[in-house]
Amino acid sequence: MLESKFESPLAHRQSAAETYVDIREVSERGMIDLRGQPGDKKFMAAVKDILAVDLPKAPRTSATWGDIRVLWLSTDQWLVTCPRHRAEALTQELTAALQGIHSLAVNVSDMRAVIRLEGERAREVVMKGSTLDLFDGSYVPGTVRRMRFAEIAALLSILEDAVIEIYVFRSYADYAWEFLIKAARKGSEVALLAPEAKGAA
Amino acid sequence: MLVVTCPVCGAEGDETDFHYGGQAHVRRPATHDPANISDEEQRDYLFIRHNPKGLHFERWRCDRGCGKWFHAARDTVSMEFKAFYGISELPPEELQAQAKGPWADYFKSRAKA
Repeated sequence: MLESKFESPLAHRQSAAETYVDIREVSERGMIDLRGQPGDKKFMAAVKDILAVDLPKAPRTSATWGDIRVLWLSTDQWLVTCPRHRAEALTQELTAALQGIHSLAVNVSDMRAVIRLEGERAREVVMKGSTLDLFDGSYVPGTVRRMRFAEIAALLSILEDAVIEIYVFRSYADYAWEFLIKAARKGSEVALLAPEAKGAA
Repeated sequence: MLVVTCPVCGAEGDETDFHYGGQAHVRRPATHDPANISDEEQRDYLFIRHNPKGLHFERWRCDRGCGKWFHAARDTVSMEFKAFYGISELPPEELQAQAKGPWADYFKSRAKA
């Protein structure tokens, strides 16, 4: 029998030293795809029982309790993130609690790669691959949204003003990584995108 | 570049964040009488689309947002969006009144129902 061993999508990559924001892979993230009707009180209560956090109903928001963070994906879909080793047990708990309720909980921890950008100019680096204006004031910490990033589908999660995580499908991990490393290469700072430049304009 | 607003989640973005889904409110003949569909009716349903100059009703998907389908009314001359509305909804009444071609018949039949 072959023992299956988890290897993160970007395990063979090393953070480049010559970038102007810190770029790393977050490999120990467990992810659960959760679907259900937010109008269904039984569903909302059952989920809260397990996760101890109310599912966020407002578009592009997230909710955190302890090591669990719930990202809004759609009006009836959420991505529950937790430490990787808890994902399977948590999925089973959710599935058990949601018996008889029209819903779905699937462990999708291996589906996406998570890349974390940290640094004053993290937003600028993301904007190099996207049409979003991350300086327009609406992208406060906690904001989550799907976006078109470097022509591929990605999920943007703003943790702090200068800490951003990007989720991409595993098969796109290398491409997204390469794009970010190149976009963040030292000396390629784009002063025009920075908030101070906007203020001056 | 078209700027689209999703009526479901409120996401605003250019057309690359969305996916165009073709003409809206196409009536499927099989839902009314599946046993008696002529080849012509089936052909019209599948392939024949209305291509007006002016008001056009169409479907869009919020591809880089909530992933839901919705409807839009657009002027094909000015490219201006007149309205965005839900996938199970009909357009605002003033637009229904302006509708021509297959849409006019469709809205009338829905109003009666």
